[in-house]
Amino acid sequence: MENAEKLVQAVMDGDEELAVKSAQAIIDNKEDHQEAISRLTEAMRILGRKFENFEIFLPEMIMSADAMTLAMATFEPILLATETNRKKGIVVLGTAFGDMHEIGKNIIKTVMTADGFDVIDLGKNVSPIEFVNRAKETKADIIAISALMTTTMHGASDVIQLLNNAPSGCTHKVIVGGAPTSDEWARRIGADGWAPNAAESVLLINRLMER
Amino acid sequence: MYIGKQYYPHEPLYQTLTREQQEQIHSSALRVLWEQGMSLTHPVARSLLAEKGAIIKNDIVYIPPSLVEWAVRQAPSRVTLYDRNGKPTMFLEHKNVYFGTGSDTTLLTDYESKTSQPWTLEQIAQAVRLCDYLENIDFVMSMGIISDVHYSLNTREQYATMIRNTTKPHVIVCDGKEDLEDVFRMYIAVRGGREELRHKPYGMVYNEPTSPLVHTDEAIDKLLLCADYGMPSNYATGSLSGATTPMTAAGTIVLSTAECLCGLVIHQLRNPGAPFVFGYGNSPMDMRTVQAAYAHPVGMQTQGGMCDMARYYGLPSWGEAGHGCSKLPDEQAAQEGMFTIQIAALQGCNVTHDVGYNNFGLGFCLETLVLNDNAISMVKELLKGVEITEETLAVEAIKKTGCNGDFLRSELTRKGARQMWRSELSDYLPYSDWQGQGSLSMSERAHRKVKDIIASHYPEALDPEIDAHIEDIIRRARMVIPS
Repeated sequence: MENAEKLVQAVMDGDEELAVKSAQAIIDNKEDHQEAISRLTEAMRILGRKFENFEIFLPEMIMSADAMTLAMATFEPILLATETNRKKGIVVLGTAFGDMHEIGKNIIKTVMTADGFDVIDLGKNVSPIEFVNRAKETKADIIAISALMTTTMHGASDVIQLLNNAPSGCTHKVIVGGAPTSDEWARRIGADGWAPNAAESVLLINRLMER
Repeated sequence: MYIGKQYYPHEPLYQTLTREQQEQIHSSALRVLWEQGMSLTHPVARSLLAEKGAIIKNDIVYIPPSLVEWAVRQAPSRVTLYDRNGKPTMFLEHKNVYFGTGSDTTLLTDYESKTSQPWTLEQIAQAVRLCDYLENIDFVMSMGIISDVHYSLNTREQYATMIRNTTKPHVIVCDGKEDLEDVFRMYIAVRGGREELRHKPYGMVYNEPTSPLVHTDEAIDKLLLCADYGMPSNYATGSLSGATTPMTAAGTIVLSTAECLCGLVIHQLRNPGAPFVFGYGNSPMDMRTVQAAYAHPVGMQTQGGMCDMARYYGLPSWGEAGHGCSKLPDEQAAQEGMFTIQIAALQGCNVTHDVGYNNFGLGFCLETLVLNDNAISMVKELLKGVEITEETLAVEAIKKTGCNGDFLRSELTRKGARQMWRSELSDYLPYSDWQGQGSLSMSERAHRKVKDIIASHYPEALDPEIDAHIEDIIRRARMVIPS
């Protein structure tokens, strides 16, 4: 089996060790890494579809995304100088103020990173001002706020209010998600987007980047 | 034992864990508390624990078994909740079961349009009045987040509305200690004093750690406030097995028990003997949809184990039933409701909340609440068991009736005919009569009942002086709404 094929298979199987080994072999043998990366991207798209169709479950999806992230990190040194190293966009991600639940946010981080976004994870219990400051510092395209509790979801609207009150020049788009949130609520608080799950959140930020 | 107002001479025999398994769970939870430790940053809680032998390294506290077992011995084995008028109505102990709603859903299901919309303050008041009417709903939780008031006033408006629209006791969920203390102030206005409130708690507070193994400052603040006021509190993880707790029921019971015991230790160190309710909720995460699978058999197994552990520790128990994943008051909702209500009653789950929840607990449905009120009524009747007396054994009646006779004239039939279980909602009509009444399905009848009750039922009025106190508490909170 050629290395690119092995790499794709390793990512599909969620085999981190083999994914890194195959990526390294592609580099060492000076094989076409761009071709391998585009095949990987396609593989992730297939996995996303399988997840949507309930053919694979979340643990398999997460393991594949982890393997993909490690494979991409292996390619990073040879991508550094090239145009293709450019990430799709920068996402500042965190859990709303007062909320210590990180699992949903971590799933989002994994799939967004695997899709080629630069994700800056602010962790849990993030204050509205920290979201805004870090987004400004990093010139983030998107602020993504996760809330699991009904008692903390209003932290997201505080971020939007801060941005609205900020001097012009704040162009960050805000997306929200988490169990108690809804599309209707997201629109009500003035968010740019809402997604019901991780797979949809990736589609959402790709759409927002096109605007 | 009691289920709601109904007294039963015998407890059901149902058990999930054997005594030996309970010991194993206890030992494993103690290992988690001592070997792994818990993330806890609250300075007061940390110093209370450190003084009594817990080891603290960075943000992790390691709690020794002796301290846990000390705390278990301090906490009372029974807790009584009182209604608005100061009448004792919920005796949380042994296998008594009381049913009530859940709190803080974002959406209310509209029966006619099959859509879900954010709650208004008026709808919360209507839902509470409905609970006031329903015979088998023993306590109320807020049901919904109010969309038409500022979020910083939401909890205060919820509890004011609950006090005004029902005499039934409450289970309280607040954002932080400030709004929780305002709710306590409302209760003090009802009772006439802080000691009177401690004597006759008008409700219990829902507090929660964050699985796995995290205890936030906000949660501990609220827990300590409850200990100070002597207001009953639980400390219940709402876990997602497979994600925030282990996939196995046993592992989830171990982890959740450890987290709950951590809360108990802090609570008892602050005020030994303050009332505490043991328990936690669990819904397995559906790894296809990444949703909490409410009313799932595995979640209810975990609840059975938890109820057994509560009795192992001699503490009241907390759990859920009458909830589910269905989006409508349909066949699935009816199955989820009956299944969970029946099992919670067998498990002897003292405070069984969430009745009326749909859509994984994100939504609430008044028709589902009414269907489940009916289910609770059926289960109460079922669990009465078989009464054995000389009269009920009926040997004399059998002999008197003889071969090929009938019991229609029997004294037992005459007495029993009027006492037989009936329901306003279930259909026992002959086909033609059912057709004559509009051929309605059960959910259609439930919808009609919801509308009738909301239009016609008004609860006992609240003393205007108390009402004014409550309004004043909200008014003061309104003055400091963040811009």
